[in-house]
Amino acid sequence: MAFVSFLLRRLGLSVVVFVGVLLLTFIVSRIIPSNPGALYAGARPRPEQVAAIEKKLGLDKPLSEQFHIYVHDLLGGDLGESYHSRRSINADLSIFLPATLELVIAAVLIALVIGIPVGVLAGAYPRGVFDYATRFVAIAGVSVPSFWLALIAQSVFFSQLGWLPLGSRISRDATLFYPIAAQTGFYLIDAAISANWKAWFDALHHLILPALVLSAYPLGVTIRMTQASMLEALSEAYVTAARAAGLPRRVILFKLALKNAIMPALTVVGLSFAYSITGAFLVETIFSWPGVGKYVTEAVLNVDFPVIIAVTLVVTIFYILVNLLVDVIQAFLDPRLRLV
Amino acid sequence: MAILSVQNLHVQFKTPFGAVYALRGIDFELAKGEILGLVGETGCGKSVTGRSILRLLDDNAQVTAGRIAFENSDLLRLPESAMREIRGKRIAMIFQDPATALNPLFTIGQQLADVLRAHAPGAAAARRRQSLDLLASVGLPDPAQTAKVYPHQLSGGQQQRAMIALSLAAKPDVIIADEPTTALDVTIQAQILDLLRRLQRERAISVILITHDLGVVAETCQQVVVLYAGRVVEAGAVAAVFPAPQHPYTQGLLAALPRPGSRGSDLKVIPGNVPSGLERIDGCAFAPRCEHVMNRCRARQPAFTSFSAAHHAACFLHEASVCG
Ligand SMILES: Nc1ncnc2c1ncn2[C@@H]1O[C@H](COP(=O)(O)OP(=O)(O)OP(=O)(O)O)[C@@H](O)[C@H]1O
Ligand SMILES: [Mg+2]
Repeated sequence: MAFVSFLLRRLGLSVVVFVGVLLLTFIVSRIIPSNPGALYAGARPRPEQVAAIEKKLGLDKPLSEQFHIYVHDLLGGDLGESYHSRRSINADLSIFLPATLELVIAAVLIALVIGIPVGVLAGAYPRGVFDYATRFVAIAGVSVPSFWLALIAQSVFFSQLGWLPLGSRISRDATLFYPIAAQTGFYLIDAAISANWKAWFDALHHLILPALVLSAYPLGVTIRMTQASMLEALSEAYVTAARAAGLPRRVILFKLALKNAIMPALTVVGLSFAYSITGAFLVETIFSWPGVGKYVTEAVLNVDFPVIIAVTLVVTIFYILVNLLVDVIQAFLDPRLRLV
Repeated sequence: MAILSVQNLHVQFKTPFGAVYALRGIDFELAKGEILGLVGETGCGKSVTGRSILRLLDDNAQVTAGRIAFENSDLLRLPESAMREIRGKRIAMIFQDPATALNPLFTIGQQLADVLRAHAPGAAAARRRQSLDLLASVGLPDPAQTAKVYPHQLSGGQQQRAMIALSLAAKPDVIIADEPTTALDVTIQAQILDLLRRLQRERAISVILITHDLGVVAETCQQVVVLYAGRVVEAGAVAAVFPAPQHPYTQGLLAALPRPGSRGSDLKVIPGNVPSGLERIDGCAFAPRCEHVMNRCRARQPAFTSFSAAHHAACFLHEASVCG
């Protein structure tokens, strides 16, 4: 029961944040472009053309009414259309968003699967060789710029070793000879659903390098946070008590201490997960990954406001959802959090 | 017959300020089925003694000399794997603050199951039955409900009962209780001490009860060991030591004990402070605070003088009287 009311309160909070972002994006989109009608009309429009377009886009109406229309469309799931290509943003995002999410989720999974055990061991054996080695790796992961890492990775694994492709999501052969039937837009999932294993391995092959590069930052953060909170958890009285009770070291580290240590680590990992989505934009450009990053970069160059706003909203929703997820996991793990 | 005996135990800690000499030669014996009180002011080395027995000292600790004899073996020289068999199963520990010694993220039932699983492989259903029996035996009402709750849902007294149930889970022969009642209300304190006494009687467990409260020792223990600055200054049967304390430190502690009918202003507090442990002490550590201090007290350590088979103290006052 406590859990349900916690969930409701937490959801309420998310809604408030979302409404705030709606307001902000609206203000930004109406105030910053000096003349949206002219932007839409293209090069050297005549005044009557601009007026017609303003009428079409509803820009001649009072701001309050414009806001009403804006919110109404968004809640109906309509993100509008690009000023530049005149294409539906919904249709565009349904292609680009899964590509980015596939990349980001792969990166974060790598970060969690490697980062948590490494952080636990580094926290369990402080001041050892392992500790210093992981510290070095973690700090490097956080501080090395991703574009540099991407270039090095490409030159090693593509140019020198020839093990992995240079970029893009899938090979031309795969698209021609064993195309993936689109369902979710996640290639690994779609290929698995249709048991198209050749395409699955091809997609995985393309995913490895960009996902590894993108995981450097969340991996570093995960290791550092897990290690720090492990060190703290291991100094708690309940750990001494568990040792005094003769519990095996494995149980103390990976069950009793880790469950406590994962709490602060999760918060930061959640943030870096959300952060990775914007971090992905750079990595996508370098690896020619057809994702939201490439999409929005073009929109920025073209001052294509509806696209910029739509992507901002989508990223915001992603942030909100990830934070919500982190809070729910934490409340699930820690009964005391459900009370507050 | 002694089940556990600590001999000449020296422990020091490495710190940025130099070595802290926490224990400077501790000797005592725990008799089977008895409760032994380990008393002294804060910082005198009670907890370090208790943790040395289970080898749970902090990483910067160093045992520089001594023996801890338990059943034909010296605990200080056992390999870590053998030590893990001793912890919980032969010698268990209860801590001062049950609120922090219980894991906040696991239910009482889960924590009991972990200990049972570590020491006695068996079916989950059997473990569950054992857990409920344990919770009932420490006087927790409604064991089935208690097994399902998290530590923060229990009162301080209930938490300490749960902690005691955990320490009993693997049927140990010895329990080391480090100030088990300090964090509790006075009325709850008495209940917990009653519980310890009852368990010791019913299960023939030997207990080392660490406390700074001589009143608790008088009510609960058969034996008492008085520590001062990492050494034993006086030890013996409670029945012998309390009526006739021989060391000025023990006398001071007993005089500071509130008695029925005494007012606050009657209480005598020993003036001065415990030495820090950073400096080496050549003579009697209590000399700077002692009202009977003599020149030789500062020069060398007094040896133990026996007053009866069950009572001895280390003080020159008595060495003098014996030697004439
Ligand atoms: N990890 C450590 N590093 C340095 N010194 C320590 C450490 N642990 C204990 N000591 C020192 O050892 C001495 C004995 O400490 P101990 O905890 O045994 O005291 P205590 O008698 O249990 O006191 P209290 O009544 O406060 O619990 C103290 O001087 C303390 O400062
Ligand atoms: Mg202590």
